[in-house]
Amino acid sequence: MSQLQTRFFTEDKRYVVDDVPFSIPAGSEIQDLSNVINKLLEAKNASHKKVDFDFLVKGLFLRTTLSTHMETEGISTEDVVEIEYVEKITAPEPEECMMHDDWISSVHADTECKNLTSLLLTASLDHTVILWEWNSEKNKVKARHCCRGHTGSVDTVATDPTGTKFCSGSWDKMLKIWSAVPTDEADEIEEPADRPRKKQKTQQLGLTRTPIMTLSGHNEAVSSALWIDSDEVCTASWDHTIRIWDVESGIMKTTLTGSKVFNSISYSPLCRRLASGSTDRHIRLWDPRTKDGALVLLNLTSHTGWVTAVKWAPSNEHQLVSGSLDNLVKLWDTRSCKAPLYDLAAHEDKVFCADWTEGGLMLSGGADNKLYSYKYSPCQTDAGA
Amino acid sequence: MAATTSSTSSSDPSPGPEPEPESKPNRSSRKRRTEPVDNPEEELVLGSAPADAEDGDDGDSEDSEDSVYSGLEDSGSDSDDSDPESGDEDRPEETCKDEGDVALDTEVQTEKNLEPQKDEYEQDSSDEEDIRNTVGNIPMEWYADFPHIGYDLDGKKILKPIRTKDELDQFLNKMEDPDFWKTVQDKQTGQDMVLTEQQVALVNRLQKGQFGDVNFNEHEPSVDFFTHEVMIHPVTNRPSDKRSFIPSLIEKEKVSKLVHAIKMGWIKPRRTQDDSRGRYYDLWASEEQGKTRDMRMHVPAPRAALPGHEESYNPPPEYLMTDEERAVWEQQDPIDRKLPFVPRKFSCLRHVPAFERFIHERFDRCLDLYLCPRQRKMRVNVNPEDLIPKLPRPRDLQPFPTTQAMIYRGHEGLVRTISASPSGQWLLSGGDDGTARFWEVSSGRCLKKVEVGGAIKSAVWNPNHNLSLVALSVGSVVLLVSPPSTAADKQVVTATERLLSDEVEPAAGEGPVVWSNAEGEELHQGIRMKIQHPKPVTQVTWHSKGDYLAAVMPDHSSHLQVLIHQVSKRRSQNPFSKNKGLVQSVAFHPIRPYFLLATQRSVRIYNLLKQELSKKLQGNAKWISSLAVHPAGDNVICGSYDCRLSWFDLDLSTKPYKTLRHHRKAVRSVAFHRSYPLFASASDDGSVIVCHGTVFSDLLQNPLIVPVKVLKGHVITHDLGVLDVTFHPSQPWVFSSGADGTIRLFT
Repeated sequence: MSQLQTRFFTEDKRYVVDDVPFSIPAGSEIQDLSNVINKLLEAKNASHKKVDFDFLVKGLFLRTTLSTHMETEGISTEDVVEIEYVEKITAPEPEECMMHDDWISSVHADTECKNLTSLLLTASLDHTVILWEWNSEKNKVKARHCCRGHTGSVDTVATDPTGTKFCSGSWDKMLKIWSAVPTDEADEIEEPADRPRKKQKTQQLGLTRTPIMTLSGHNEAVSSALWIDSDEVCTASWDHTIRIWDVESGIMKTTLTGSKVFNSISYSPLCRRLASGSTDRHIRLWDPRTKDGALVLLNLTSHTGWVTAVKWAPSNEHQLVSGSLDNLVKLWDTRSCKAPLYDLAAHEDKVFCADWTEGGLMLSGGADNKLYSYKYSPCQTDAGA
Repeated sequence: MAATTSSTSSSDPSPGPEPEPESKPNRSSRKRRTEPVDNPEEELVLGSAPADAEDGDDGDSEDSEDSVYSGLEDSGSDSDDSDPESGDEDRPEETCKDEGDVALDTEVQTEKNLEPQKDEYEQDSSDEEDIRNTVGNIPMEWYADFPHIGYDLDGKKILKPIRTKDELDQFLNKMEDPDFWKTVQDKQTGQDMVLTEQQVALVNRLQKGQFGDVNFNEHEPSVDFFTHEVMIHPVTNRPSDKRSFIPSLIEKEKVSKLVHAIKMGWIKPRRTQDDSRGRYYDLWASEEQGKTRDMRMHVPAPRAALPGHEESYNPPPEYLMTDEERAVWEQQDPIDRKLPFVPRKFSCLRHVPAFERFIHERFDRCLDLYLCPRQRKMRVNVNPEDLIPKLPRPRDLQPFPTTQAMIYRGHEGLVRTISASPSGQWLLSGGDDGTARFWEVSSGRCLKKVEVGGAIKSAVWNPNHNLSLVALSVGSVVLLVSPPSTAADKQVVTATERLLSDEVEPAAGEGPVVWSNAEGEELHQGIRMKIQHPKPVTQVTWHSKGDYLAAVMPDHSSHLQVLIHQVSKRRSQNPFSKNKGLVQSVAFHPIRPYFLLATQRSVRIYNLLKQELSKKLQGNAKWISSLAVHPAGDNVICGSYDCRLSWFDLDLSTKPYKTLRHHRKAVRSVAFHRSYPLFASASDDGSVIVCHGTVFSDLLQNPLIVPVKVLKGHVITHDLGVLDVTFHPSQPWVFSSGADGTIRLFT
């Protein structure tokens, strides 16, 4: 068995080893390397406890033997190989299963529950978005505004980073921008003359609100929308495009063209990448800043059904979670694009939504009426990064 | 002569007889040339002496023989030549008549006889003969017509001897002359001559096949020049020359001269003859080819099959027919029979009867030989791959549905019909469980369930974007149902509401159809209107404008099979007054005012404006099950229960442009995609086959039809597989509903 000259380094202060090259058997795997590091640490520090490590060679996770990995990646075996090691990401554990009365189509985690009351937005098939006020003390919601204007089912809403505006995407191909600030005045809306007023009144929840701006451009339903920053909205649509809009001027800035219907997108301000889940089972990573149309940076392929939800980790630039119609939730690391880090097979039916909390919880809900939360302990270095 | 003799003796001092014979020939020859006429006496003396000295015992005889031999060579040849002539006509008299000649002859003869040494050279030349006749050694018959026989030395003609002897003289001569038997005519001179004793003896010897020379010993012992035995020592012991192993300088010089000459171009290499230029004509070239062609084209006569075990008089029992086989054999046509006879078993050969089919058999054999095509069939050697038309690879025809993405569960029992909403967000399904369900396409959630209390045969969403309405056929009732209010824009819902609630007085009593508004519980469920038909309705279909609705009531015996309803006016009409066969399926043309009607065997296209039959498509299908019209309107596909899908190009022909037989069981449903070049067929074998079908705007180009994907997933229940198939209106997705109670989406 041939030997490889390797040099180990890490950014984690706790596990630093001496910067000297080692000769490692080429056929060694993660466990072997991990043992080597643990031995070195023990020699340095007697009180060291055994830790499992993951290893990165040129920014990619080592998943096979060292020699195979270097062969597939085309790394020369002549030079000294620089291997970074990080503490192994432990498997997320299902923590809680919250039963619901019906299918869960959306989940959103929010940390800002300091006030007694907070505002909620719900988008509905009945063409409206309702702004609710939730009193956490009394645990009561009150409909403050009924945002009317869409002519199809509203599929997605997103608030801007400041919390003063939100956008909604609908089956009627429109993207609308609304004010998220609750007021006591109802916007005027022209009603059809012959509509029975009384009946309408009883159905109405809260005060009517009309959109600030309507952005049209998509040829098919808008399936997902999000704010990149305070004046940029990104939408994904069934017409196989991802479009980025300037909210201030109301014009479309960029179009990224895919080949299949997009179900979901997510943007990470840490790595400035868009992740999209589409009906062809792939998760694609895009760079929204490119001007020249479609440029897929990376394909993450492991799901066997439509990818209905993707979400970047809020605190880690490499990790994202995806949910699919094949009942699986997968945790991905972009440095290991061939296979996901972990498959979370808790759901018994279609998964429709997934999210992260700041506190390190992953949430997912689906057609089996269950909202699962997974405990996930990001390693210290990543958390600090 | 004496002088020469003396001189010889003087020059050769040694006395004795030995040296003389050596010098004799020289002398005699010299003398001959100088003096043609010799003195016989002198020569006689000279010649006898050495002969005596050599052979003491029989010197005389030897001499004489020698001389006879040497002399006879010429004379014998003469006599041989003259024999045929002289023997016939006149042999003996000549000698007698020409006395001078005879004298000369005798003189010569004596000379020859007496001087053998001197006569050595007479063998090879005719000098002596020429004394009298100088014509030379020519056939003497050339002078047959002349009076003379040649010329003498002086150039005077030698006249032929006068022959006056007649037969009688000749006979007398023969009787009287004792030498007649050895008298021959000398052809050269024309004289008769009598052969001497020696000459006669020579003739006798030659006739016996012996050598002419008596003294010649033909059995002399042979002496090898070298011994024939292989000896161990070389013949010579001389060492080989130095030059034998040293390269010759002379040769080297010669070679170098030649090489130099070649280099300088003085010597040119001999040009080789090029035969290919046609120096020789190949006579057999074409002949050979023809022959081989004949050989190749030879078709042997067919061989009679060799008899097998069946023909045996005592076949193994497995070759004997059982009673059933025998019965079958007797029922078959003689042509279909595997064997032309029944195998029979006999205990011994003696019991085998005469073969009664002998004449038949011989006649069949003769027919075989006579009818055998004695011509080789030219088989075209074509790679079967080349015959397959070049179709693009399915991969290049993306997008098309490839994988199952979603299953819509909820129905109990067959899902007979599905229809997608014009927006593509909703899917309507109806089944045998008496429910119509509205599904959200993207999530698979059943949003609304309408109980209609009967199996739904057909459910169609109104294609008009400005109306939100579906039509269901339940038994003999067609129901107009409004989808959930959220399924469409509020204004669309309002417009539909207005259309349905308009108080239009239906033309009562006019036809067999009764229109009525739904009430109570049914209205609450969303059922808005009921159209009561006289017979069960199997299919409903909307016109693309969404106002007209066609319902099919298949019935063999009635002309009332199709009804067209107008929703806005609550009016129904029967467009056909004649029964053209069992109606299977109908469709409105998407663009033109045409109405397509599929009966069991054919598809009729009616022009609704002109009220006439515009085209009749004759598929080769036995029982058409379904019909779909291309959105551009020029192509029609038909599925049939005999597993076929026929594509008709209306501009091309009334026959199918292409027939696809990919399904293994009955085709239940066919569908075109509204915008993508796709069509699909659903079959009882549980599969949906998606085909790519590009229709080109160029009329000269035929549609490109490529089967791209077989979609499987439905479970076959009660021998029924997929019952209905429909495409998503905007995405390249296909929905299929099956007998297993599921609806599946393939993307």
